[in-house]
Amino acid sequence: MPSDSRASLLARFCRPAVIVGVLSLAAVIGLYWYMALRPGINPALVPSPPTILKALRDEIATGDLLVNTVASLKRVVIGFCIGASLALVLGALAGWFRYAGYVLNPIIDALRPIPALAYIPLVIVWVGIGEPSRIIIIVLAVFKPCVVNARAGMKEVAQIYVDAARTLGASRWRVFATVALPSAVPYFIAGLRTGVSTGFLALVAAELIAAPSGLGFMIQNAGQYFRTDVTIVGIIVIGLLGALLDQIASRAGRALTSWSDVRREP
Amino acid sequence: MKAVVDKMSGGHKLAVRGLTHRYRMGSPAAELTVLSGIDLEIARGEFVCIVGESGCGKSTLLRMMAGLLSPSEGQVLHDGTKVTGVRHELGFVFQQDAVFPWLTVERNVAYGPKSRGLPKAERERLVAHWCEAVGLTAFRKAYPKQLSGGMRKRVDLARAYANSPDVLLMDEPFAALDVQTKAEMQDAVLDLWKSTGKTVVFVTHDLDEAVFLSDVVVVLSSRPGHVHAIVRSTLSRPRDGATRVSDAFAAAKRTLWTTLQEARGRPAAIVPKELRASSITTQGA
Repeated sequence: MPSDSRASLLARFCRPAVIVGVLSLAAVIGLYWYMALRPGINPALVPSPPTILKALRDEIATGDLLVNTVASLKRVVIGFCIGASLALVLGALAGWFRYAGYVLNPIIDALRPIPALAYIPLVIVWVGIGEPSRIIIIVLAVFKPCVVNARAGMKEVAQIYVDAARTLGASRWRVFATVALPSAVPYFIAGLRTGVSTGFLALVAAELIAAPSGLGFMIQNAGQYFRTDVTIVGIIVIGLLGALLDQIASRAGRALTSWSDVRREP
Repeated sequence: MKAVVDKMSGGHKLAVRGLTHRYRMGSPAAELTVLSGIDLEIARGEFVCIVGESGCGKSTLLRMMAGLLSPSEGQVLHDGTKVTGVRHELGFVFQQDAVFPWLTVERNVAYGPKSRGLPKAERERLVAHWCEAVGLTAFRKAYPKQLSGGMRKRVDLARAYANSPDVLLMDEPFAALDVQTKAEMQDAVLDLWKSTGKTVVFVTHDLDEAVFLSDVVVVLSSRPGHVHAIVRSTLSRPRDGATRVSDAFAAAKRTLWTTLQEARGRPAAIVPKELRASSITTQGA
């Protein structure tokens, strides 16, 4: 019933978490606004919120924002798919099969402390400045957290389930596929969620260096022309997009682990 | 020394010969003998309980019977062939919750048959039959987290039986359940045992449970674990609620308690000689 849904909608937005959260955010914006309007502040360098909103409208109207967002999304999705699938396969094997671990663990652990962004100069020298090099950076950034989590998940598989499957006549391969993999899914999801955010981080960094399009390019380009308002629009869109991708990953994860009775985050 | 569980039966369903288990622990590493020279013979269709104080190695013994653990010495024979690893003929029900939480009830029950590559129609028949047998037909599509502890144990039992094992090895399966649920599960186990006629070896530390379920109770003593006595049940079957409160039950429990005290090296003088049943075969230590 409409009155019911209205009531529940009202209830949803009247929670303390939402009210306080909105107020907190509003306070930060208000503080920024106050600073922007102080005498002696150059409005071109510190644009007021209405100016930023206007820049947002302009960017939408010209289609630039859409083009750049789509370019960034495409890179991050391709990079994520490659990096994550590689990481899940290798991490699962390394964490489960002893000899796969002997082979893969040194490589994984050697890569582990190196930030993906440190590869940028190397990738540019080897692959050049082009779409492949940007995607490679994202793949590397996504790969690391995913592989580490996938491996950890396979190491944490409860022995009791393995024993149960074996006494029921499951082969070694079947134990891997039907016991180890599913019970490690919560770890995979945690890895993928971290992967989404590190991948996104690397995307912007990769686009800052040399790219003809993308949100990183957009903020860098605007900064060079002192279009601080456009830069801020870009930053906000990056933030929203990152949050959206994280939400998608989180929801997909929750759907995949609906069997689990671990505590849901609030 | 040899504990003869059933002298009548020729071919034993399960035989344990000179089974010894040691493991190294601590630093500097010292060898600890958990079980020493266990001999047991279990007849087809028998319900055998193994009791003993905690740490006597009763679970270790059962795990070795299942092929989950290799003995340091001796062997386990199933239908005369040596058990060298897990085999689906030897079903196992664990103390912990071993139901796969990521599978629905029916997929859990179908796990064994699917592992053995049975055709879909046959799997479906088995699932329907065993879900019905443990009273879970209404919960076939449910996930384990939606079920109570007792219901999850039912899933575990159905899963073990659906795999058509020859022998059921149960390792304190109901230890974590409350008294009421435990009694229901014991009834369920006896029903399954009666309807299938399959041999059951059941480890427990609960004397009531051992007395209620068993044909034969194997009493282990500790450090290192060895067979102290074999106590043959004097209770008639079928057993039900009335059995639990009968004088015969109390007497059988008293006998078992005394035997267990002896196994622990405690004087059993508190029980008068005439109360000690003649059904005990004590093993010279």
